[in-house]
Amino acid sequence: MVSLSVHSGVMNFGFLQTDSAPAIERSVGIIGAGPSGLAAAGLLASQGYEVHVYDKLPKPGGLMVFGIPSHRIPVDRINRGVRDLERRLGVTFRTNTKICCSAPMHEEEGDHFAADILSLSDLTDNHDAVVVCSGSWKSRKLTIEGSALDGVYSSLQFLFPIRAVKYAHSNVSMPDVSGKKVVVIGAGHSAIDVVDSARTLGAESISLVYRRTASEAPCGKFEIDRIQEMGVSWLEKRSPEEIQGVGRVEKLIVRNGVTDELEELDADVVISAIGEIPTPPFQKELGLENVRKGDVRWLNMTAMDNVFVAGDVLTGPSKIGKAVYSGLRAARSLTNWLDLKAQSRENEYNFEADKISR
Amino acid sequence: MEEQKTLFVDYSKCIGCETCEAVCRFLYDTPRIAMSRTIDGEIVPLYCQHCEKAACQKVCKRGAISRDANGAVLHNAMKCRGCETKDCLIACPYAAFFATCKGVAVAKCDLCKKRRAEGMLPACVEMCPCDAIKYVDRNSVEKLKTEASEEAFQRVMAHIRPKKFVD
Repeated sequence: MVSLSVHSGVMNFGFLQTDSAPAIERSVGIIGAGPSGLAAAGLLASQGYEVHVYDKLPKPGGLMVFGIPSHRIPVDRINRGVRDLERRLGVTFRTNTKICCSAPMHEEEGDHFAADILSLSDLTDNHDAVVVCSGSWKSRKLTIEGSALDGVYSSLQFLFPIRAVKYAHSNVSMPDVSGKKVVVIGAGHSAIDVVDSARTLGAESISLVYRRTASEAPCGKFEIDRIQEMGVSWLEKRSPEEIQGVGRVEKLIVRNGVTDELEELDADVVISAIGEIPTPPFQKELGLENVRKGDVRWLNMTAMDNVFVAGDVLTGPSKIGKAVYSGLRAARSLTNWLDLKAQSRENEYNFEADKISR
Repeated sequence: MEEQKTLFVDYSKCIGCETCEAVCRFLYDTPRIAMSRTIDGEIVPLYCQHCEKAACQKVCKRGAISRDANGAVLHNAMKCRGCETKDCLIACPYAAFFATCKGVAVAKCDLCKKRRAEGMLPACVEMCPCDAIKYVDRNSVEKLKTEASEEAFQRVMAHIRPKKFVD
C-alpha cells in the first residue's frame, strides 16, 4: 500500500492522480499562478499536458501568497504544492512575466515585478490552448474628496508590499504605520487582514469604519468581536464623506447613519478595503465586456478559439474555493474541446454543460 | 477492522475559503463537505466524522449504511431507496448528510473511497490551503485538538445543534 502521508504539508494541486499520465503532444499556457491557474495546471499536467504557467510576480501562489497574511495560509504549504507541480508533474513556471494587454502597465498591484512582457498571440502561437486566470488585482478606489492625498491606500496597495518587500524590489516599500492612527474602511476579510497587519506593524490606534452593522459585515461578527478585543474601535453605520488634510491625510469625515451627523476621525493613514475589480486583459478580444461584479454566468471558453478563462478575472473577487472550482472546470472544458477538435467534432462541444452558474 | 480512519477539521485553522467544498463538488457533483455560515458569521465546512457509533447507521431501516475496512461510514445507493423520512439526515449530529434531490436523494462522505483504493488521500485534505483538514486515525483525533480548535468546534456545534447547546 502506498503511504498515505506523502502529501502532508502540501497543497496538492495535482490531487487528481498520483502519477502523471504519459505525455501527450499538447501544450497549454496558463496566465496567472493563483488558485485557479494552479488548479487548472494540476488537472492538465496530470493528464499528460505540457503546462507553462506565466505570472507577473516573482513567485507562484497569487493572492494566497501575496495578499492573504501568512497567519491565515501557511506559505510553505503553497510553495511545496508549486514545487510538486514542477517536479512530479513537469509544470514550467515563468515568473516575472506579464502577458500584456491594452491597459497601461503599473495600474495594478504587482505590475512593477514584470521583467518580461509577452503578448497573448505569443502564447496562442506557442501553445495549443491558453487559460486566462489573471485574477482581480485592481482595487476599487474611494471616490470621495481627498482620496488622492498621501496616506490613503487601497487594501491591496497596503497588503501587497508587506509580502512582496522580501523580494527586495526597489519599487516596493513597506507602508509606514508605526505609531500612527490608522482608519480602515470596510468589513470584509481584506479589511480584517489590513487591521491585523497594521497592528503587527505597530499602529498606535486602529479604527474600522463600516456603513452597515456588525451582523451584516461580510467578515462575520466573530472577527469583529476578535478585533475589538484587540483594542480596535469598531465604528458601524458610518459612511466616509471626505478626507481632509494638507498634502497628506489628517482627518476622515464620516456620516453617522443613525444621527445623520458628520463626525471627524483623526487619521494619519486611511486604508479602503472596499473590494477589488477584475482586470481581464484583452477584454474586447475575449468578449468579456459584460463581466462585472454580480454577473457570474460564463462560458469557460471565450470568444477566441482555444482561449479559456477561469477564476476571479471573470467573477470579480470571490474565494479561493470558487477560483479552484472554476480553474478545474475550465481545464476540463479545455481537454474536452481539444479532444473533439482533434476529431473535427467541435460542433458537439457542449457549451451548456460548461456553463458555470454559481 | 484494522483501521479506523476519519477526517478532523481544525476549525481554528479554517479560513472559510470553500476549497474543500469546491474540490468535492468537482469530483462528486453534490459536495459531501459543505460550507455553512454560523450565527456569528464564521464560515466553516460541515463534514462526516465517521462516528464510532454512527447514528445514521443505527436509524437506517434498509441497512444501507455500512463501514469499510478503513472505518469509513459508507452509504450504499443500491440498498437505499431514498426514503421520505430521511432518518439518516436527521440523525446525523454533524449535519453531514446532504440531500441531492435526485436518484437516491442523499449523499455523504466516503473518505474518497476510490481515491483511497489508489493510495490517495481524500481530495479535501490534499487541497486545503490551510492544512486544516486531516485524514487520521480516530484515536489520534484527541491529540490534534487544541484549546483554540475546541473552542471553534463548540461554536460550530452551537450553530448546528442550537437547542442542545442553548438549554
